[in-house]
Amino acid sequence: MKLMRRMTRGVSSVVLVAFALLSVHLPVQAAMVGTGEVIAQQQGTVDRGQLLEALAREDVRAQLQALGVNPAEARARIAALSDAELQSLAGKLHELPAGGDVLGVAVFLFLVLLVTDILGFTNVFPFVKKTVR
Amino acid sequence: MTSARANRARGPRAAARFGAAALLILLTACAAPLQSTQWRAAPPADLSPKVELDTVPFFPQERHQCGPAALAAVLVWSGAEVTPEDIVPQVYLPQRQGSLQLELLAAARRHGRLAYVLAPKFEALLREVAAGHPVIVLQNLGLSWAPRWHYAVVVGFDLARERIVLRSGGEPREVLSFATFEHTWRRGDYWALAVLPPAELPVTAEELAYLRAAANLETAGAARAAASAYMAATQRWPVSIVAWFGLGNSAYAQGQHAAAVLAYRRALSIAPAHGPALNNLAHVLARQGELAEAEHYARAALAADAENETYADTLREIRGRRAAP
Repeated sequence: MKLMRRMTRGVSSVVLVAFALLSVHLPVQAAMVGTGEVIAQQQGTVDRGQLLEALAREDVRAQLQALGVNPAEARARIAALSDAELQSLAGKLHELPAGGDVLGVAVFLFLVLLVTDILGFTNVFPFVKKTVR
Repeated sequence: MTSARANRARGPRAAARFGAAALLILLTACAAPLQSTQWRAAPPADLSPKVELDTVPFFPQERHQCGPAALAAVLVWSGAEVTPEDIVPQVYLPQRQGSLQLELLAAARRHGRLAYVLAPKFEALLREVAAGHPVIVLQNLGLSWAPRWHYAVVVGFDLARERIVLRSGGEPREVLSFATFEHTWRRGDYWALAVLPPAELPVTAEELAYLRAAANLETAGAARAAASAYMAATQRWPVSIVAWFGLGNSAYAQGQHAAAVLAYRRALSIAPAHGPALNNLAHVLARQGELAEAEHYARAALAADAENETYADTLREIRGRRAAP
């Protein structure tokens, strides 16, 4: 029972936050049709509604901060993403490819990659020159 | 691939390489042929055989900062005044030690530049470079199960020698064979990003994808840049309803009501029953005080879609204003 109450409290606070965000992101002219809406219609993509968008926004913001982005910058980064992009990011910031040249190289991996580098399938080690041959 | 391998198989290490190749077959699952080998015999006739864009700057990459370095290179090429250091806080994820693709798009927009993801085609990549546009690519330099994600900028190619030229990591001019490059790029799902001044279109741009990129630029707050993107779109696709509609919305958002009216009218000359254009035209006319004409278009919008609540609101609002002057 206690757990239930805690859960409902958690859920309701998420919904509250979502509604708070929603009010900020409502279009100024409620009766104008937006360009993004028309494009989405043409492409046959489904508008998943403003509540889900607001939840995605909140989720991405929290994840950005959890991954080390400061709160003000996280807000600015989110503002430059479209709703569709936010929804495709939500819940996936830990797993999507993050270009940064990171590789946890174990010894056997080193050997494998050395071979695949020499064969020209990969390009991990700069000292393996593939193009001069 | 086979001919290249045959070439390399000469010499004392041939046997070792054969063993390595056998091992490789066990390790990798890349059976599909490469795109770059498919048109080896007959490359597209109208594609320049050799291109290199010397005006694209090079920023040597700091640790884990290939995203900021690549984005800074194309932004500076496009005329923006930025450094990789400016971009780091806009794209870098410290705990991931890297940058996400979508965040590169978002950061480009924050600098007033249109971010367009190309079709996942080797040919589209080369066509953009041939048109003078540097392209950011996502490579997986490692293997699918041991990824090493990396961003680089394609700045040139040589069809005859099958070479591609990149600004990459610490190398201002990395030259790779088509095959090696494509292996690494294919593992990045052929992701390629053009970042252009908003009045300039990617040569391979598709109408709706481009307009979506323009709309995203607009929602990111770069209203004027988005307006020139829509304008460019109406020139490339003169009968695109969405291009004229977007131009109208962006003009309206900037307070240019007369320009907005003209753009919506152009959209309606292409598709007379386009509900959104009818509705928005009615709105702007009402703002201009042309209430009778506004009501005409609001009715037409409802006639196109009787169930639409937005259109009903528009008509109600205009009627209210006409009743109480």
